Amino acid sequence: MRIELNEVIWLEAETLSFDELLERSGLPAQLLKELVQAGGIPPLDPSAAQPQYGARALMVARRARRLQQDFELDAAALLLVLDLLDRVAELEGRLNELQVKLPRRAS
Amino acid sequence: MQYKDYYAALGVARDASEEQIKHAYRKLARKYHPDVSKESDAEAKFKEVAEAYQTLKDREKRAAYDQLGTHRPGEDFRPPPDWQQQWQGPFGEGSAFGEQVDLGDLFAHLGAGFARSAGGRGGRAQMAMPGRDFEVAVPISIEEAYGGTHIDLDLAMPEYDEQGRLRPVPQAFRARIPRGATQGQRLRLAGKGGRGFNGGRNGDLYLDISLRPHPVYRANGHDLYLDLPLAPWEAVLGTAVEVPTPGGAVRLKVPAGTQASQQLRLPRRGLPRPHGEPGDLYAVVSLVLPREVGERERALYQELATASNFKPRAHLAEEGSHAH
Repeated sequence: MRIELNEVIWLEAETLSFDELLERSGLPAQLLKELVQAGGIPPLDPSAAQPQYGARALMVARRARRLQQDFELDAAALLLVLDLLDRVAELEGRLNELQVKLPRRAS
Repeated sequence: MQYKDYYAALGVARDASEEQIKHAYRKLARKYHPDVSKESDAEAKFKEVAEAYQTLKDREKRAAYDQLGTHRPGEDFRPPPDWQQQWQGPFGEGSAFGEQVDLGDLFAHLGAGFARSAGGRGGRAQMAMPGRDFEVAVPISIEEAYGGTHIDLDLAMPEYDEQGRLRPVPQAFRARIPRGATQGQRLRLAGKGGRGFNGGRNGDLYLDISLRPHPVYRANGHDLYLDLPLAPWEAVLGTAVEVPTPGGAVRLKVPAGTQASQQLRLPRRGLPRPHGEPGDLYAVVSLVLPREVGERERALYQELATASNFKPRAHLAEEGSHAH
């Protein structure tokens, strides 16, 4: 059987309008608006008349949709959870950065 | 159709109250939700728990589920003959109850079936429905991240057939993972998620890249680190050593006076970036000592001990003298 080779798209290579972000995230429109207004999902250039959103915004919005659906969270709780998960990721990043610099083998 | 025990998945009794079901779900969701859990099989476990909860939290679905009777998990069964008439969902036709139908998909669309069938048969036929997006974890090796690779995906995607009935369809395809995708990189395969129905767009497939642990390299973003153990005299006198890199071995000059835990940088020898300069490779120095020494070596160390005026603990002595 011949298997078709599919090309992937780097998420960073795309920018999305609010409506595209809405469609791709699957969040209810009102909730996405609240998350954006509260700074939980920042546009690439906040001063732009028609803000565009990048890969990070999409991943956060999709995560927000999963959390909202699975834990029945409102906007305030979602913002808190997203913030905390962000901090966890940042700390894990820093921990990894320190760990890779330590020799693994104690001789 | 294979039976799944939704009560067991949530760890509750069959006569559990709605409140008990909700409590059990919340507890398990906190433990296994893939966005918050570190458990290795979190995703699969959560899927089970969520599927059970979606059915049991809804009174009508729970009643429909209870009427299926009790079977062993995984047992192949057919619903009682009057079940379909009573719970006429999108799987209205008798033929839909083949072995292929997933119980979770059946219940997920039961509600939608109620709503539409209330307005007459065939309501689904007019509605465009987008396919679902999916995310899959794709662990790759550091060598694959360096050189790019392709992966073969074997997925069972729920798809609507011509009658608007949902069934899992095996999908096998190959995706190119480009050079420079590293830990945490997300890639999108457009239109490779669930197929849309009635003009609805196809869903996307998101690939969540992670790097498998490597015996030699440790990755931080696009930078790589490896251990470089040196003998004391190599560190003091300097040397040149051969170190592996994903692009092939290179000679690394170790300058005289190199210290333990110092990082020697090999520029652009790390992982490539999709745009811009590749990451660097760092050799992390450690000093290792022979566990046993011969007579001649011992004599030389002895001579060194006598000749050297190196004071490795000078700062401790200074601290001690301040105390008096």
